[in-house]
Amino acid sequence: MAKSLLIVDDAAFMRMLLKDIISKAGYEVVGEAANGVDAVEKYKELKPDVVTMDITMPEMNGIEAIKKIKEIDPNAKIIVCSAMGQQAMVVEAIQAGAKDFIVKPFQHSRVIEALQKVG
Amino acid sequence: MNEQYFSIFIDETKEYLQALNDSLLKLERNKEDIEAVNETFRALHTLKGMAGTMGFDSMTKLCHKMEQVLDMVRSGNLKIDDTLLDKLFLGIDVLDKILKSIIESGNESLKDFDLDELIASFSQVSEQRKEVNKPEEAESKTEESHTFQGKLEIDDSVKRVIESAVSKGFEAYYLKVILEEGTVFKAVRAYMVFQKIEQIGGEILLCSPPVEELEEEKFDRDFEIIIVVRDKKKEEVRDALMSISEIENVVIQNAKVKQMSSDGVNKVYAEKAIAKTGSPEKPEPKAKKRRLTQTVRVDIDKLDTLMNLMGELVISRSRIIDTLKRYNIKDVDESLSQLSRITLDLQNIVMKVRMVPVAFVFNRFPRMVRDLSKQLGKEINFVIKGEETELDRTFVEEIGEPLLHLIRNAIDHGIESKEERLALGKPPTGNVVLSAHHEGNNVVIEVQDDGRGIDKNDVLKHAIERGLVTESEAAGYSDEKIFEFLFTPGFSTKDEASEVSGRGVGMDVVKNVVGSLNGNVSIESLPGKGTTVSIRLPLTLAIIQALLVRVKSLVYAIPIANIDSTLSISHDEIQNIQDREVIVIRGEIIPITKLWETLQIPHNKVGESMNVVIVKVGNKKHGIIVDALIGQEDIVIKSLGKLFLDVKEFSGGAILGDGSIALILNVTNII
Repeated sequence: MAKSLLIVDDAAFMRMLLKDIISKAGYEVVGEAANGVDAVEKYKELKPDVVTMDITMPEMNGIEAIKKIKEIDPNAKIIVCSAMGQQAMVVEAIQAGAKDFIVKPFQHSRVIEALQKVG
Repeated sequence: MNEQYFSIFIDETKEYLQALNDSLLKLERNKEDIEAVNETFRALHTLKGMAGTMGFDSMTKLCHKMEQVLDMVRSGNLKIDDTLLDKLFLGIDVLDKILKSIIESGNESLKDFDLDELIASFSQVSEQRKEVNKPEEAESKTEESHTFQGKLEIDDSVKRVIESAVSKGFEAYYLKVILEEGTVFKAVRAYMVFQKIEQIGGEILLCSPPVEELEEEKFDRDFEIIIVVRDKKKEEVRDALMSISEIENVVIQNAKVKQMSSDGVNKVYAEKAIAKTGSPEKPEPKAKKRRLTQTVRVDIDKLDTLMNLMGELVISRSRIIDTLKRYNIKDVDESLSQLSRITLDLQNIVMKVRMVPVAFVFNRFPRMVRDLSKQLGKEINFVIKGEETELDRTFVEEIGEPLLHLIRNAIDHGIESKEERLALGKPPTGNVVLSAHHEGNNVVIEVQDDGRGIDKNDVLKHAIERGLVTESEAAGYSDEKIFEFLFTPGFSTKDEASEVSGRGVGMDVVKNVVGSLNGNVSIESLPGKGTTVSIRLPLTLAIIQALLVRVKSLVYAIPIANIDSTLSISHDEIQNIQDREVIVIRGEIIPITKLWETLQIPHNKVGESMNVVIVKVGNKKHGIIVDALIGQEDIVIKSLGKLFLDVKEFSGGAILGDGSIALILNVTNII
């Protein structure tokens, strides 16, 4: 069975872009969320195999969301999406429990590699 | 660009350029000195990084090229020889020029110099040698894939930890982690590697480059670590790390520690390689932090302001004391002495803050001596002593130029040619010693050579020829007095053939600078044995203790540092010897001067007893007769200003406690 994915990003454009890359690689995007609060709700509901998580978002940022999701499911596999120059945030996200990170602008191969590595 | 960053960049670059000169000189003495090679490399590397950050491209490029050459030396692909050293020295000079241009104009324009040519010449060096060494290199590469050597330098403490961990059944591994080309956020990947090692129960003992540099992404694509871990096979560790994204490869080996006998540096050797990679690049060992004490950089202007304020405080204190004395108010005595003590302490500290080691100015001479001795074909053994001696910051800046003259003179004119020395039965290498030491309230800086010395008869001959003195006058002159002619502007430079020619070059400049700092210069010389020029400077300029004296109604200050003693004499104790007035104190003949005569103050009344201030300059004593001694006071020296620059008798003025002004006598020029 193809792995299920939840995409979290406040920009619809980015979600679309990611969805495109991910679907082409044979994964199933089961849901999308536009902020941290939304992401936590959707995670509870959909129980996806992997989550891609943007950091800078309204309502609740990515790092908070990672912490919340990890509380619900310590085994959650989360990949952080970050922009250039957010190095410190990425470290924080990884400390919070993210498994890997990808940097915008996305390179297809890197996105796929990250998905494969988190298993 | 932020002004603050800019000045730190300038300061640090200066430091690194100095360090580069030092390490290259070290290298010149011993071309096999690998530590000096490393030092040079590190300094260049850091400089490159700094210049790059500031956007100074020429500097970055030049550093990079020089660094490459040094790297080849480090890896044994290139031998240091004189041509290469000259080229490196030139490179440093050019870096210095670029820095000067940056300071002056904010950009790196280099007039009259083809930087590209120099850069190309460095590239040439590295490429030529590469070709020569190619087959060898290829060979060593294949070899290295079998028995790979890590170059991580480890200290004894880490070594002990490894040994004890291994004895307790832990595994010690050496790891080299190579990131994929184009990895973004390398620091985060490094962090993930560390996190993963901790997750599998490992502990990181050592890391190169150090963690701070990894965090700042100051590494290329790879880094090395030593870890200890229990019950994990090499493969398990490697697999765990390979599961992180963007890791191209992980080389893992058992860490073994061997003592290197040659330089005593411990290096980690790994036994076997399971890696498929080629030759790993050598990581750069961490540059050792040189500073032992914690320091703060302070703008010199602020220190000057502090000193000025301190001066005002001292004046105010004197005025208060003065006023209180006048009204005979006793109640405040205690708090007054408290105030005095505190201001004195404060004054001492402010003075100390301004002190810098003379090394600051001495450091630049080894390089100059090297260049000059090469240029003149003389072998010079240049020794610096007492460079830790501290001196007021103002002096250190001012004294550089005079010392440069003196050292240049010593090498150019003092030290004989190699052949001449051998013929005289002297060792072929000439000695020049630059030394500094404290002497009472003074700092004495000496430039000493063991060259041909100065012939005093020759000096005298010139002085008479130039009409500076008549033959009969000169008859009773001491050596010291004769050598003083050398300080006359333009003295002896005319007669190039003369032994003393050139000794006069800049000697008047030396005397002027030193004099303006309230110091004095003296020369001692023995023909055939060598010459010593001594510069004597007060510890600080701004606040001094002085004896206030009075001539008629005028008050003058004599720096306590110059004073040997004071005494009272009767008029008939003054004797005449060779047309000079002298007094005899405890069998010692001391020439005297009546201050009012020197300063041309109309003065008719001469009392029965007179006050004499005996001053000491070098080892000469001299009596100055004044009307009265007032007392000792801390005075703040104020410059007389440009208009009175050629007034030689006074070194400045001071405001006294009662608001009046006293001129400070420049003792050296009065006697």
